[in-house]
Amino acid sequence: MLEISSTPLVIIAILGTVGVLLPIISIARKEKGSNSFYAVIAFSALIVSIGYVAYQFISDKILPSALFSEDVLVDDAFGGFFAIAMLIVAIFTTVGSFNYMRKKNYPAVYYSLILLSTIGMVLIAYSTDLVMLFVAWELMSIPTYVLVGFMKKNPSSNEAALKYFLFGALSSAIIVYGISLSYGLTGSTNIGEVIHGYATLDSSLLPLALLSVGMFIAGFGFKMGLVPFHQWLPDTYEGSPPTITTLLSAGTKKAGFAATIRIIVLGMVVLNLDWTLALGVIAVMTMTIGNIAAIMQKNLARMLAYSSIAHAGYILIGLAVAPFSHLGLQGSLYQILNHAVMKGAAFIAVTGIVTTLAVTNIDKLKGLGRRMPITSLGLVISLFALAGVPPLAGFWSKIMLFGGALDAGSTIWWAPWLAIAGVLNSALSLAYYGWLTRKMYFEGETEKRVSEPKSIIAIMIFSIIFLVGFGVYPDPIIKFVQFAAPTLSLGIMP
Amino acid sequence: MNNELIDFVLVSVALLGIGIYGLSVKRNAIRMLFAIEIIINAANLNLVAFGRFLPHSGGQTLALFSIAIAAAEVGVGLSLIIVAYRMYQNIDIADFRSLKG
Repeated sequence: MLEISSTPLVIIAILGTVGVLLPIISIARKEKGSNSFYAVIAFSALIVSIGYVAYQFISDKILPSALFSEDVLVDDAFGGFFAIAMLIVAIFTTVGSFNYMRKKNYPAVYYSLILLSTIGMVLIAYSTDLVMLFVAWELMSIPTYVLVGFMKKNPSSNEAALKYFLFGALSSAIIVYGISLSYGLTGSTNIGEVIHGYATLDSSLLPLALLSVGMFIAGFGFKMGLVPFHQWLPDTYEGSPPTITTLLSAGTKKAGFAATIRIIVLGMVVLNLDWTLALGVIAVMTMTIGNIAAIMQKNLARMLAYSSIAHAGYILIGLAVAPFSHLGLQGSLYQILNHAVMKGAAFIAVTGIVTTLAVTNIDKLKGLGRRMPITSLGLVISLFALAGVPPLAGFWSKIMLFGGALDAGSTIWWAPWLAIAGVLNSALSLAYYGWLTRKMYFEGETEKRVSEPKSIIAIMIFSIIFLVGFGVYPDPIIKFVQFAAPTLSLGIMP
Repeated sequence: MNNELIDFVLVSVALLGIGIYGLSVKRNAIRMLFAIEIIINAANLNLVAFGRFLPHSGGQTLALFSIAIAAAEVGVGLSLIIVAYRMYQNIDIADFRSLKG
């Protein structure tokens, strides 16, 4: 049994209460458009939650990553790590919406849905039971369908929401089917027992087990934007409100990785190690197609969407080599945390640009460096961190990922090629990030400076400090990641 | 494997096939929603059938959860479709082309 003071339950209690109360308060107050009031409430709930998780870490109350448990939730370091990443993203979204949602309808519902979706993301990382995982997955997804279509007078928001809904509903249908197969094969929904059941499975049933793992990869892959399943992603990221794009790109995508690590990577270890090659191939395809498509884009949000697809590929490298090198999973977690901050900052910068200038076309961003200096600086620093330029934070996570791939090369022959593909792709991505930077700083007339929203400036300064600070001095984050990463060896059995 | 069980699993696989066919061929948003519902129900059938032959009721419990969640999902999906219909007077997703890259 979980204690009542364990982290996931406290987070459900705080965010759930506030999330449910916000619309009730708005009905009771009978006034429209007091956006900042609800934003402040949602923001303080998120700050209290992240403070509680951080307190649990600092006071050493969190168990090392357990991965398996008798219960449906486990209060371990792996879940805590993801909880911190997701809550940072939710805070970015809430603070970024502060200006964006001004003079727009239904702010209370908007913040309430963000909080509910955040509960789902956090619970996915903590769950050790397939039923819990599925419920958390839907709790994360359903509010985001509404949020993507929140601007209901806007045709592109509608279209984005419909496409996202159809693919998202398909992904959850496939996940339920995968769960039903694994339940039938092993007679349990507890992840530990499922994996134990797979390890002792009759060999004639092995294809069915592989089918169920394949369905998990497909279902989670839709949310993560892996390449055969990525068609919805650029449309949705471009059409949805930019704050919600932050939540999707930095939040729900990472929750997909949390679920993948909980199920697939562990399932892979017991089933058949040739499976890792499939993940490696998907990783290389995802990186390459994402980066090549990103070069051709004219729209800033769409370009970042393709770059977000490419980054799913980098993270997947770590998962593919996870059974062979302990650096793989650590690198993935590190990249997940960094990517949450980097992509979050980049999309919040897009929000700032949309709120003040109402443009996203790259050609119209000429001279942005002089018009909105702080937003541009934040955007450029997060772009270079995404490309992995030293000494920014993105550099160390990429070093760890590619180092993991090289390290695994002593066991499997194809792993070093993943590292080579990753390095080439990083160079490729630097091309379009550099092109964008040139547009922003070295082209265009000298235009007047426009006033930047204060909330956006706050996020930009936080991300610049995070990315540069932990780039110059990465030790604390590396220790944190090493503590949170589950040790994966062939000997693990529940 | 039990003979009775295999019947349920075959029906479930057939439903999965129908759902995937519907998703890949139809372009009407409501028909696609139906196809997704068929896949979810195929999974529910699987869960209940497996649960029948196992000593505990985990499968039936998950099927109940899944039905409730699918209902919430359909609620959100239909409302998105209604909003889109008001804007375009059409729910053919092949006609939604404002986003292109």
